Formats: sequence, C-alpha cells, structure tokens
Amino acid sequence: MIKAEPRTILSFLHTYFDVVRDLFEFQAHDGLISREAFDMIVKKHGQQNIVGKLKEYRIVRNIGSDYEMRDVYFKMMEFLLFEFKPLLPETIEKYKGAISELYMKIRLGENHDREILQERIKNISHQIREFVDLVERNAFRLLSETRDLKSNIERVEYREKVHKASFWIEYYILPLNKILDVNHSESVTSKLIEVSEYANRKRLDFGDETIRSEFEKLYGQLIQTNQDLLRQSKILTNELLPLLERIRTESLILTGFIEFLRNPYKVDSPPLLKGSRTMVYAKDMLFKVKEFFEQFENQESVYYEETDLQFDKWIFDRELFRNQLNADLPVKDFFGWCSKMLLKDFPHIETEKFFAITGLLFDEDLNVDFPKKEERTVIETLNSRISVPKIKIENAPKI
Amino acid sequence: MVYPTHHRRIVEDLMGGKFILSNEDHYNSLKENDKFYQEFFKLSFDLDMVMKPEFCYLISKDTQENFSRDVCIFVAVLCYELDKDGQNFMEMMDYHEFNYEEVDRFFENSSFIDLIESNKALKDQDGRRTLINGMARRNIVHKSFEDRFIFTQAHRVFIDFAKELAMRKMAVSKEGEDVSS
Repeated sequence: MIKAEPRTILSFLHTYFDVVRDLFEFQAHDGLISREAFDMIVKKHGQQNIVGKLKEYRIVRNIGSDYEMRDVYFKMMEFLLFEFKPLLPETIEKYKGAISELYMKIRLGENHDREILQERIKNISHQIREFVDLVERNAFRLLSETRDLKSNIERVEYREKVHKASFWIEYYILPLNKILDVNHSESVTSKLIEVSEYANRKRLDFGDETIRSEFEKLYGQLIQTNQDLLRQSKILTNELLPLLERIRTESLILTGFIEFLRNPYKVDSPPLLKGSRTMVYAKDMLFKVKEFFEQFENQESVYYEETDLQFDKWIFDRELFRNQLNADLPVKDFFGWCSKMLLKDFPHIETEKFFAITGLLFDEDLNVDFPKKEERTVIETLNSRISVPKIKIENAPKI
Repeated sequence: MVYPTHHRRIVEDLMGGKFILSNEDHYNSLKENDKFYQEFFKLSFDLDMVMKPEFCYLISKDTQENFSRDVCIFVAVLCYELDKDGQNFMEMMDYHEFNYEEVDRFFENSSFIDLIESNKALKDQDGRRTLINGMARRNIVHKSFEDRFIFTQAHRVFIDFAKELAMRKMAVSKEGEDVSS
C-alpha cells in the first residue's frame, strides 16, 4: 500500500527523473541493478537521500542485495523514452494461446453465466490491446535498429553487419511476419479475423443487450486492430525486410571487395576472355622473336684474337670529290662518273666506296636533273651489279 | 547449314571480349541458340560461354587476366568509397551517371591509395581514362558523353565475384571457429 498521493509520486519522478532514467537504462542493459551500480547512480546525482523514497513509492524493489525497477515503471520509462527492446516473436506469439483460449471459452459459454462472459470479452479485448501494442513497439524498434544499421553510426564492420542483418531477419522479422500473415491459418492475425467475424455476428444477434454492447466494442476494436496489424505487416514486408536484405547484400559485397583489395594479386579475379592482340606486322612475330633470342641461349665461348695484318683504310674525302665533280660539270651520267672516279684509283669498285661517293647527290647546291625516259646504267662492283638510273648534273644556274 | 541471325556480329563481339547485353538486338538470337553457341565456342576455340539473364560473355581457361583484375580493383574501390560517402552504392552502380571528375576525387582521396598508386591502370587520370575506355569497348560501361559513363548490367560479374568471395571467406572463418571451439 502506498501512502503517498499519486501526484506526489509523479512530482517525485519529475524531480528525480535523471536518477530514474539512469536506473532504467542500467536495468534495460543488464536485466538487474546491482547494488554497486545503484549506489553509484544515486551518488553520481548526489541524491543518496532518495533511496528510501524510491522504495516507498515502489519504483524499485530489492532482489537479494541488488535492485530491480518494478515492471510498471520500467514499461512507463520504455514508453516515455521510446526505448523498447525488441521482443522475440516467441514472446508475442503467446498471445495467440491466450486469445484462442478466451475465444473458445466465450463461444462455449455464450449461454451460461452472463457476468463471466462479459469478463471474458473484456479480457480478450485487453489481450488484443496488449498484443497490438507489443507488435507495434517491436516493429518500431526493429525499424529503428535497422535504420541505425544502415546508417552505420556505430561503424560496425561489414561482416558484422551481414551477421546482424541475417540475425534480425531470421529471428525477428520472418517469425513476426508469420504471426502477422493473414493468409497463414496458424497466425495470430487470422485468429483475430475469426474472432472479429464472430463478434460481428454476436453484436447483432446476441439476446442480452449488455453483452451485445460488449461485442460491439470488441468488434470495433478488432476492426481497428486488423487495420493496424495490416499496416505493421506492410512495414515489415515492404520496408524492413527489403532494407535488411539490402544491408545484408551490400555488406556482403563490400566484405568481398575489401577482402579482394587486401591483396588483389593473390586472388583470381573474375575470368574474362583473355585478349589476343592482332599484330600488324606478322602473326607469328612472337615465335620468331623467341626463336631469335633462343639462338643466344647456351652459346659456346668465342675467342677473338687481334691480328696485326694491315688492312685497306679508305676514308671518303667529300671535299675532294665535290671539287672534282664541279670541275667535270655538266655530268651526263652521275653514277657512271662515280664509278669512273673510283676506277682511277682502284682496280675494282667496292660497293661501300661506290655508295660513299653517290652520297654527293644529296648536296643541295647541285642542279640534279632526273631523266624523263627510263634510261639505266649498270655498275659492277666487286660483289654486285647495281642497276641505277642515268642522272644528269647540270651547271649551277648563274644568279 | 543455316546459321542463326546476327551470327557474325555475335561471334565478332564475343571473340572481341565484349559482353552482349540483353537490350542489344543480337542478344535474343544468342539466347535462342544458347546450346548451339555453347558448343560452337567450345569446339572451335575451347572457350566457355556464360549466359546470364542480363548479359552473355566468353571466358578463357587462363584466368590470369590483367584487365579483369584492374576492372575489379576499380569497381571495388569505387563501391567502397561510395559507401563511405554515405551513398547507396548498389543503386549508384545500377543507375548513376558517373563523371571523370567525381571518379578522380574518389580515387585520389581513397584509403586504398597505396594500392591505386602501384597499379599502372589506376594510378593517374590518364590510366583511369584508358581503363574506362577499355571497359566501354567491352560493354562494361556505356559512355554517355566524352567524360561521363554509366555501368551496364555487365558490372554484376564483379559484384557477384565479391559476394562469392565474402561467402567463401566467411565459410572458412566459420569452419575455423567451429574447429577451435
């Protein structure tokens, strides 16, 4: 029995709200408030004098040497702070048993005691209210947890996110969805629809007016309840489940990518078609190059000995030949002239020497005339016969 | 013998390493003659053809493909950075038109900068442009303008690869946990 006025208790809660909230949060986390935690919380707020009042107003009670916040206050704090702990659907499913039991008793006892029937209708209504409330709170909490997981404020690792999302789906969302699935004959929702149909009939044809009115109220409540449950079910299937599935998939992909990026050169990347490049020069170029280099592999040692033998050193004196050419201008057959010049000094023409002299042709000062007719001359060198056109070199035009 | 319609285009595209996408004319012919082409590429070139509902492509036995690795790193870094930036990366990969400037910003500020700088195809803007052009040639991206591109459905090859890798990794670590417990 509490001696204090309700207003006094509310005023106490208002004044010491911070202490009560800390106690609530501790219990929500740990399930119980240990003595040390209790002392620490009241001390932190400098309110050691309120311990007696907390007990007197039945806000907390002793559990051995520890404390526990009483359920009514705990639920009120949950509601005020909107900090509901998601319940396992198994806990919610128990309402199906209670509702079914009461429904069966109402049907069987329709014609018996009027008072107990009225009580049962009120009780079933109470159970339904509690059930809907729990479902709403659970869905809200799951949605908020899922959004937190999505925004990842706590910087949860991707792998952990996959686990969390899978856990929520497996243990909370899917079972809760089953409870709310109107098409599932075993679901609580389908039971509620059955009760609603029954209440609808009875609100019209039940003999006793008071009971009729109770059925009327129950029916009204059930119409609203079914709408609420449908809304919750839609939130679960249209928003929560896809969001969680998405988090799970996204996190899985990112886990894979991070794993790959850790060492991309050790993991086989997705196989594609290995590109083959078409060479413009030759398709078998690669083999030819390989063959070429292979000949240098395992090469035998080669020894080179220098000899003192004299060899013919001939250096092309450009100036000398240029002057000679200028003196001989005009020249009708330039290449013929080149061979003549060489034969003056040497018995044979060497190809190398011949090409050295022909280099004079590129002298910009020369007035070179290419013949229109196809006239050629043949030069015989030591190791080749060279067929060249007859090119005329004229005197330079006088300016 | 009568060859399926668009035969030449199908063979040229696939042999050129291109993905044939479901919105292209010749995809339907390829899909209708799936069995024929599977056999055709296997017998003629010893290549496997992968047929997916959204695209089709050829794979070689030799998986040491630098291009695939470079693209995979590119996609991985991009997805990671998009997620870090608070973007819905799966949606972005499906529908977003990326521009070079945006991609450069992600790569230049990435925490995987060491890896990026050690990779020739990704280390600088020119390298990345070349890689994106290569991806466009293979139909992995579609270039909407000179400096803009959209990923085609072919990017899913890399997304699926990441998923499989993660699942393999998680299965291995789970086995490890089971053994140790």
